[in-house]
Amino acid sequence: MPERPAIALERLGKRFRVHEREPGLRATLRALVRREWVEVEAVRELSFTIAAGERVGFLGPNGAGKTTTLKLLAGLLHPSTGKAEVLGFEPAARRPEFLRRIALVMGQKRQLSWDLPALDSFELNRVIFEIPKPDYTRRLAQMIEMLELGAVVGKPVRTLSLGERMKCELVVALLHGPEVLFLDEPTIGMDVSMQLAIREFIRDYHRERGATLVLTSHYMDDVAALCDRILVIDEGQLRFDGSIAELVRRIRPLRRVAIRLDRSLDPGARIELEALGDLGVSEAPRLVLDVAPARVPDAVARLLALPGARDLEVHDAPLEEVMRELFARRGPGEGE
Amino acid sequence: MSSRLAAKLAALWRLGFAEATAYRASVLVWVLATSLPLISLVLWRSIAEAGPIGDYDQGGFDSYFIAAFLVRQLSASWVVWDLDRQIRTGELSALLMRPVHPVLHHAVFNLSALPLRTLLAAPVGLAVLLATRGIVVADTALLLGLAIPAIMLAWALNFVTQLAIGCLAFWLTKAAALYDVWLGAYIVLAGYLVPTSLFPAGLAAVARVLPFHAALGFPVELLVGRLSVAEALAGLGLQLGWLALLGPIAAFAWRRGLRAYGAFGA
Repeated sequence: MPERPAIALERLGKRFRVHEREPGLRATLRALVRREWVEVEAVRELSFTIAAGERVGFLGPNGAGKTTTLKLLAGLLHPSTGKAEVLGFEPAARRPEFLRRIALVMGQKRQLSWDLPALDSFELNRVIFEIPKPDYTRRLAQMIEMLELGAVVGKPVRTLSLGERMKCELVVALLHGPEVLFLDEPTIGMDVSMQLAIREFIRDYHRERGATLVLTSHYMDDVAALCDRILVIDEGQLRFDGSIAELVRRIRPLRRVAIRLDRSLDPGARIELEALGDLGVSEAPRLVLDVAPARVPDAVARLLALPGARDLEVHDAPLEEVMRELFARRGPGEGE
Repeated sequence: MSSRLAAKLAALWRLGFAEATAYRASVLVWVLATSLPLISLVLWRSIAEAGPIGDYDQGGFDSYFIAAFLVRQLSASWVVWDLDRQIRTGELSALLMRPVHPVLHHAVFNLSALPLRTLLAAPVGLAVLLATRGIVVADTALLLGLAIPAIMLAWALNFVTQLAIGCLAFWLTKAAALYDVWLGAYIVLAGYLVPTSLFPAGLAAVARVLPFHAALGFPVELLVGRLSVAEALAGLGLQLGWLALLGPIAAFAWRRGLRAYGAFGA
């Protein structure tokens, strides 16, 4: 019998009623008398399952429904249609046994008391999550060391930098050892080294506890480093489910063949190469040719035959380009 | 109560007390903002200089308004503003992710700030005590003892009312503004500016059964010895009755509100 999935969604949907008005005084006055309501379908009939221990990333443009899906799974939102099951629980019922086994980390929101040292909030969580004292002491010491928080946890949270605060948010979310960890934009607004430290920490947590990770992020590197399975959600629907490599091939099916050259192409060779695929850069010392997978052997043979050719590489289109293409279909800046 | 629950309540209490201490300046502002009874005291005692008004002489007003100031501090709640903000900004999400009911969290945080609040109010109260003829309290241990549950129920009434109105923020942009309407009625009808027994007879009869009076005037009158034991028990019964009515309304608003919660900005 197959193991029960950690997370299962069945035709899950969420509608919001939001009121809408035009800008300007006249519209404001009209809205006083008659509000115009618009139904927004943030998530539509979403169905998928996630096995225990999987690391899954939600990708999609702004307003696609990623964060809404995450909030539905964490139990913050009640579904409008369909159902969700996490660890065998209905999330929206928010039973204490359920809440003790999951955690939600939101890059833009805080759990910590703003004017008190983070240690005070850690201590509160120890008691309300019923964490045995030896576990608490060990985990806290370990996390403080890994994240280099020794000098930080005793200071009022409001005095910390964004990165330090986010590290403390991770600690407070992980102290009780959640089996399912939901992360919403965990590295938003951080510099690269801080992003790396946080990614590393999350990976370690996953390795050590075998926890299930579900992540949304705008940083491709987060997703590439943390997730082995990608769900692309757009307009509230599932558009893709698979590995990063598959996603790249689906969106940019062409493989990229690159080579270094001593001198520029002669016109004859150029025409020949253009017949094989899309010729990108073609000025010495570099040449890039995007070709269909079946034509890779031909392209490789032809390129290596060029005078002075060396350092041949074949790879998928860069992830950033894939994402740009994926997100470009929708306008930027829509909130969700 | 299980020892686990007790430990959780104690942990919430400690954090709430620490927060209140961090916000001591704003707590002090709150104390001063609720010193209206002391202004009433000055007004009424000067009016009563020529002779008693109704059954209040100068000393009677002194006692009544000092007690009103005290009861106001001990029964204070601010959950309507907290809830309004947390729902609008999505801060509530953090509370919803903890295995402790958010209402319990608010109740314990509220109560944990009251000792500090009382401490900060003490110098103000003491100054007024010294400047006036002081306070005369109920002269039997039984009546004084009954004042304790009366003040606790007054707090519960304020908390539950604010909770019910605060939950409207699940649907409205500014629920706290609605509470100002309630507060306006409270200031007039609770015995905050004038003891309700000085109202015109018909109005007094109505005002004295409303929840406003149950949340202030009643415990104050009980504390200063203006009620008999029978009246005190009737008043406690009335408080419980209002709680039994308002409690389920607040619980209903909370449950329905969570279904409508958008966790926006979170």
